[in-house]
Amino acid sequence: MKEALEQVAASVPVATLHAPQDELSEPRVARPSERVVAPAAQSSKPMAAGGSRLQAWTASAAGLVIATVLLWAIAPELIAPYAPTQMDGSAILLAPSSRHWLGTDQFGRDVGSLVVYGARQSVLMAIFAVLISCSCGVALGLVAGYTGGACDMLLMRAVDVWMAIPNILLAIAICTALDPSLHTTILAVSVTAIPRYARVLRAQVMAIRARPFILAARASGASHASILRRHVLPHCSSTILVLATLGVGSAILLGSSLSFLGLGINDERPDWGYLLTQGRGYLTVAWWTVTFPGLAITLLVIAVNTLGDALRRRLEPRGAAGTR
Amino acid sequence: MMRRVLGRLAASVGVVFGAVTLIFLILNWLPGDPAALIAGDAASPETVEQIRAQLNLDRPLWDQYRDCLIGITRGDLGRSYVTREPVATRLLAQFPATLSLTLSAGLIALVLGVTLGVLSARFHGRWPDQLIQLSALSVVSVPPFWLGLLAILCFSVYLGWLPVLGDGGFRADILPSTCLGLVVSVHFMRMVRSNVLDQLHEPYVTALRAKGLGQARVFYVHVLRNALIAAVTLLGVVIGELLSGAVVIETLFARQGLGRVAVEAISQKDLPVVQGAILLASITYVVVNLLVDVSYVWIDPRLRTDSLRGAR
Amino acid sequence: MTDVTRPPSIEGTQRHRERCAAPWLALCAALVAVACGSRAEPVKSSAATEASSSPRAGGELIFAFDGAAVSQFALDPHKSAFAPHHRVMRSVFDSLIVAQPDHQFGPWLAKSWEIAPDGLSYTFHLRDDVLFHDGTPFDAAAVKWNLDRIKDPKNALIALADIGTYDSSSVIDPHTVRVQFSRPYAPFLANLSKSSLGMVSPTAARKYGDEFPLHPVGTGPFKFKSLQPATEIVLERNAAYHWAPSGAAHTGPAWLERIVFKNVPEEATRMAVLQSGQAGAVDLIPPQNLASLRTSRDYHVVEGELLNQNYSLYLNVEREPWRDPRIREAFKLTLDLDAAVRTIYLGTQARAWSPLSPSIFGYDKTLEHSWRPDPARAAQLLDELGWKKGADGVRVRDGKRLTIVFLDTQGNREKRLDLITVLRRQLRDNGFDLRIDTQPAGLYLAKSASGDFDLLAGSLFAPDPDVLRRTHSGKVRTVTSVSRADDPELNQLLEDGCNQLDDEKRKQIYSRAQHLIVERGYGIPAYVLMYSVAAARGVEGIAIEQHGFPVFYDAWIHA
Repeated sequence: MKEALEQVAASVPVATLHAPQDELSEPRVARPSERVVAPAAQSSKPMAAGGSRLQAWTASAAGLVIATVLLWAIAPELIAPYAPTQMDGSAILLAPSSRHWLGTDQFGRDVGSLVVYGARQSVLMAIFAVLISCSCGVALGLVAGYTGGACDMLLMRAVDVWMAIPNILLAIAICTALDPSLHTTILAVSVTAIPRYARVLRAQVMAIRARPFILAARASGASHASILRRHVLPHCSSTILVLATLGVGSAILLGSSLSFLGLGINDERPDWGYLLTQGRGYLTVAWWTVTFPGLAITLLVIAVNTLGDALRRRLEPRGAAGTR
Repeated sequence: MMRRVLGRLAASVGVVFGAVTLIFLILNWLPGDPAALIAGDAASPETVEQIRAQLNLDRPLWDQYRDCLIGITRGDLGRSYVTREPVATRLLAQFPATLSLTLSAGLIALVLGVTLGVLSARFHGRWPDQLIQLSALSVVSVPPFWLGLLAILCFSVYLGWLPVLGDGGFRADILPSTCLGLVVSVHFMRMVRSNVLDQLHEPYVTALRAKGLGQARVFYVHVLRNALIAAVTLLGVVIGELLSGAVVIETLFARQGLGRVAVEAISQKDLPVVQGAILLASITYVVVNLLVDVSYVWIDPRLRTDSLRGAR
Repeated sequence: MTDVTRPPSIEGTQRHRERCAAPWLALCAALVAVACGSRAEPVKSSAATEASSSPRAGGELIFAFDGAAVSQFALDPHKSAFAPHHRVMRSVFDSLIVAQPDHQFGPWLAKSWEIAPDGLSYTFHLRDDVLFHDGTPFDAAAVKWNLDRIKDPKNALIALADIGTYDSSSVIDPHTVRVQFSRPYAPFLANLSKSSLGMVSPTAARKYGDEFPLHPVGTGPFKFKSLQPATEIVLERNAAYHWAPSGAAHTGPAWLERIVFKNVPEEATRMAVLQSGQAGAVDLIPPQNLASLRTSRDYHVVEGELLNQNYSLYLNVEREPWRDPRIREAFKLTLDLDAAVRTIYLGTQARAWSPLSPSIFGYDKTLEHSWRPDPARAAQLLDELGWKKGADGVRVRDGKRLTIVFLDTQGNREKRLDLITVLRRQLRDNGFDLRIDTQPAGLYLAKSASGDFDLLAGSLFAPDPDVLRRTHSGKVRTVTSVSRADDPELNQLLEDGCNQLDDEKRKQIYSRAQHLIVERGYGIPAYVLMYSVAAARGVEGIAIEQHGFPVFYDAWIHA
């Protein structure tokens, strides 16, 4: 009886134990960077009606936040009441009031206008960083997963090395190697994010590689490149989209940490991370100088993460190929 | 199994050397002259040249790299360009602080994450679950140093419960470790929650219940154990994130540690110190991953069976 | 019977889960209880302390200071020109003489001294009862050893600049030493009272060699105990101490048993550490907190001017277009430093008019309010020079934009970058495009040495106006000379000032020099630093000495 029970327990494919061969390079567990939320188990269970309404509500709220931030990034002049560079020496560290909705900072600048104008730098940095890291990482992952063999091993070892160096040290090294500018920050942030995409994509591609439709395509004479382009990539597109969306959040947070350590861009139109850094000594004296940029970052990252999770729920039903 | 472990070990050593090489390459593209920095304010160009020769900075890159590697294998990490003291001594004095911060943060993350994950799964769909999810989402979206600053203000200044600066005691480490571990605990929480939820709908659980096993036994012996296995896997991945976060936390809480040393050394182009720091960080990373991999063989009986079959 | 395809009953699972979750919750509660066990006890005043208002021996002071992001403390006074290190070293190393108000000097390790009529030698009569922390006696030979050590170029010590034309010393008898100069060196006594020329134990220095900065040995009221790199320095009372400088509140050993210096560069953290009670005192209070601390009943604040070559802006006069004094004048007139300093420092630091801080010998008061911002005149000058405003507001001449690259490496220490941010806006309104180029230390040195910048800024703590020579003299060029001025008239003045022993003549020389520096735009002074220390009510007696450094000798803690 006991043996029977244990046999049952032992034979069940518990989803999170993975194939012994490649723990270091391919755990099938959800990677923390993917910000896994509830699994698709919900789809197999009658969900409380309130739950999905809540999800719909949060998804639309997230969409609204993102749209607002994008509007700020594209046309700040339409929204902001003051120019962000305008320093009013007689209006230093004023609390939020009817003249300055979000108060003023230590330079006499209107915090609200700073937040609106700062959206552009933050958003640009995050989007470009994600574009670069995503393309490079996906390319690496595709090649590694599809080719297999020595090439795969080599690339995955490189990825291991990449991941063995703490993110922030790598970013700092790059930031100090080059002149401080938006490009440098984008480069530093994107380089640290590449291995994440590479690993996930590789796992996906390896799962797909042996599928019948791929073999059929090979048999009908399609070249590797076209297979990758027309069959493999579309299959992975949802994963890529989810990862990229979540990657935007990580990029913004890494950028703010770099600002804190003194590697931010001291521009006349500072980004949110730099605003946070400039104001951090005033938290007890003038909380609005820190809180509003901080809230802006937090809300945007929450919105982006929520969007990413919603995308994942819709695009990756349980049982589909790929990682959770 | 031995073969697998040895294979892992070899791969890990390769990873460590790869990391050191990568940093060597990046830093040697850094502009800036460590010799001028050491020579200091009062030095003449001749002195600067002298120092450059003393530090062997004028030799070809390949030679420097080779000597560096040879040194590492002998345990000699060289001397700091800036302070002239042996890197190994300096880093080994600083490393325990980072290690204890990181490991205690990991422990807090594990305990907190598993607890909340279990709670979340148990109250799945109801308000505790939603509250935990929302808090998790917020914690993970807040800039880390702002979180730390708010924690300092709240727990140290206003409430007066915990000290900020290290004083050698255990209480002084609670605040920084928790700040560091909080973000990581979210990953554990989500992992455990999704894992437990998945499992509770697996046929095997129903089967076991049908066979007459008590709720508690099913939960603790089987479901939770599998969830913990999943959480342990995450440790290997999360250690990198912990080491990274330690840099900001060490700066904010004015602690000594590898992170701060590395940051300052990078800006001073103190190559031996940076390499030493990266070496230690990557060793930590691979050791933790190695331990995680090896621990599977104990935890998962199937792997044991597999290897036996393979050996025959 | 249970249908195996349906999930297990929810109610049953829930009750069970309740029981499973309970132990976890209990564990959490227990952890929280342990953590909050005892509140940090702030050192607050109580009614009882009113009675015991005389110093008592004993106690440990935790002092959180802004040591900046150093990688290592270099506790060798001859080796470091970094003010935060000296704030610690002042307690470990004594000087031969102590600086007193009105540019006078009092006895310390030297009981008395004479200056030869030709000004080329000083004879010091030393105390005969002084011991170094390692037990070796302090004597004339030690003084000679110290000065020779500094002079030796092989040692490459920063203090070399402080001994000027020092030639040699001779030991007349065990407690009399004669110090010889090749030319009269007026700053000598002022520099001698600095901790930069503090007396180091020759035995220890020989014993530890290069590692001496990690094992400092002096004669001070506190001995070095231990340090943790970049984080903490622990000093312990020197029980044998009874050679306090004249003007101290008591003689005999210090009251405090131990001082723990904690390096906390992060402003917000430093304030949190004071307000949570973990530190008894902190320094360099940020302007936004200073006002409330000054009026608070729980803390008291001491402030003292740091004798300093004030933080000033230095245009690179070796580079176009800054060679032309007219454009420097335009630059200067565009700046509204009153407004900028008031904005950033909220009234806690004064605007600087002279490169020298007000308490330095030779400070020229006539420079105060001697010029006002005049952007209109500046615009006129720029137009005359051919710099016309372009489409985006930045002036252009022959296709070249009026860009100023400001090279920085210190970050926002003392809110310097914030000040530059305000000035940047003012400059932009008049067509200057200021770019802040923050570089790590290594690259900063390289770039400044090669002259690859338009603007530098910095300060240098010093008790004597001779500091102007180190900065502005074309004859003195070090790797980090901030001013590239090579003005023959200025060079001559600074040389004369250095050799002139007559006080009145010296004042005249330096008065002219200060005017030249400001009028010709070699250095534009910004603010005067007031060094501040805030202590909790129960911590008394922390003082700030003449040079602006904290003294803990008379400090004590209420029971």
